[in-house]
Amino acid sequence: MIPFIKAEYLVHEYSRRDEEGNVTGINRALDGISIEVKAGDFIAVLGANGSGKSTFAKHLNALLVPTEGTLYVDGKDTSDHNNDLAVRQSAGMVFQNPDNQIIANIVEEDAGFGPENIGIPTDEIWHRVEESLKNVGMYEYRKASPNHLSGGQKQRVAIAGILAMKPKCIILDEPTAMLDPAGRISVIRAVQELNKKENITVILITHYMEEVTAADYVYVMADGQIKMQGSPRQIFAKSEELAKYKLTIPEVTKIALELIKKGINIPKDILYVEELTDILLKLKVSATVGVRKE
Amino acid sequence: MLRDITIGQYYPAESAIHRLDPRVKVVATFIYIISLFCFKQLSGYIIAALFFLCMVKLSRVPFKFITRGIKPIIFMLIFTAALNLLWTSGENVLIKAGFITITAEGVKKMVFMALRLVFLIIGSSLMTLTTTPNQLTDAIESLFKPLNKVKVPVHEIAMMMSIALRFIPILVEETDKIMKAQLARGADFESGNVIQRIKSMVPIFIPLFVSAARRANDLALAMDARCYHGGEGRTKMKPLKYKKKDIAAYLVMLCYICLIIAAGRILPV
Repeated sequence: MIPFIKAEYLVHEYSRRDEEGNVTGINRALDGISIEVKAGDFIAVLGANGSGKSTFAKHLNALLVPTEGTLYVDGKDTSDHNNDLAVRQSAGMVFQNPDNQIIANIVEEDAGFGPENIGIPTDEIWHRVEESLKNVGMYEYRKASPNHLSGGQKQRVAIAGILAMKPKCIILDEPTAMLDPAGRISVIRAVQELNKKENITVILITHYMEEVTAADYVYVMADGQIKMQGSPRQIFAKSEELAKYKLTIPEVTKIALELIKKGINIPKDILYVEELTDILLKLKVSATVGVRKE
Repeated sequence: MLRDITIGQYYPAESAIHRLDPRVKVVATFIYIISLFCFKQLSGYIIAALFFLCMVKLSRVPFKFITRGIKPIIFMLIFTAALNLLWTSGENVLIKAGFITITAEGVKKMVFMALRLVFLIIGSSLMTLTTTPNQLTDAIESLFKPLNKVKVPVHEIAMMMSIALRFIPILVEETDKIMKAQLARGADFESGNVIQRIKSMVPIFIPLFVSAARRANDLALAMDARCYHGGEGRTKMKPLKYKKKDIAAYLVMLCYICLIIAAGRILPV
């Protein structure tokens, strides 16, 4: 099967220029990234500030083109500008700031903005807008002004705006960085559901460890390179290595690791609070049973 | 709250005027304004006033909302009235004191000119009261479309207008935030003379401009990501379509302008 996204030795350089326009320095934001993503996957890209993860996201949407290497999205070369619209239509992008990506003054009109641009007939636009707003749970706010919504709601409207273009893949560039915890949960839940129910490929770029637990596969980026990759459990088991890239593991995993240090026999790749409590309860039961036998 | 500010002065109501196609309202307002300059005698003013009152009644907008539009131009109104009063020469001198001469013709001209201005303002405010800013930009885009042929970027201008409308509340809120942040750092916006006060605004406007530029950059990226590529090949989610009542409204306007012109020719006063 052809991978949905295929990056081969991707390099991107930003050049700094002085006032006359002479290049004074080159900043290698991406340094040889090779990734393959299958259709329907939920991928997370982790990285601290300045790791190059947002630059990578912009490449996936043809907003930036590679300095070296090649990137194919849905079988199309992103460095060819004739492919821009097709690439953006099949891989939609959600940005960090919810206010700066909503274009229209009414929720439903914003969801319709993408389909309008790609020339969908009026009736079909209405159909798609309804469907996509329902998918993110924002249908009852369709007549509202975006200025009256919370951050999480605005971000879900932005996702609906992308969904209405019927993409095969959604790229989310730190979608929760400006949200409160409740908004963060609502956005991640909406994304998870889209991945499962609509089989949309998701690429979540973030530095929040808790959000990564939802992903099938995780890439860790630092200095423009991919330093680690694996399932969330595999990644979180290596807390020392993560710390080297200025990333910290979720609180639950941290507690589990501390408990292991104290000599308690539990696995070291725990991701969820419920998981840890279950294991600890079982330990407690077996311990009390053991005491009675003696 | 600042979030609730509306630009323009839309008055939400269910009325025949509200439901009209926004293009009809824009065109009708233009016709009305032009009609105000088609007559010179009292009967014309009466017809224009009666017609306007009918429209207000139909629109269900309370009269005080309509007259509110006059407030900001009251100074200009007095100024033009005074100029007309003092500078009109005529035979029937009413008062003569020093270099000031007031004639009966002057009084008549003053009253008519002031009335004309008032009609002009309240006529256009009836349009903005019954049309949302969004509908207005749609109407402008559609009405000025022919200008595309002479390379006027009509779609882009309408797009900019509607984006500006969306960002005004956001920027107002931001200004408020910056002001509070500067106040917390001991800034003083209240005291001092005019020049000092203007100077104290600099620390508000610089961060505001920086952030507006940043927002513009973000928004441009987001629009790119959503396949925006100008007006070409673009479809409309809410296309404007003329209905029967819109045609009827055009006919009403046609009758009105004929009546005004006829009155100007036939009626003596």
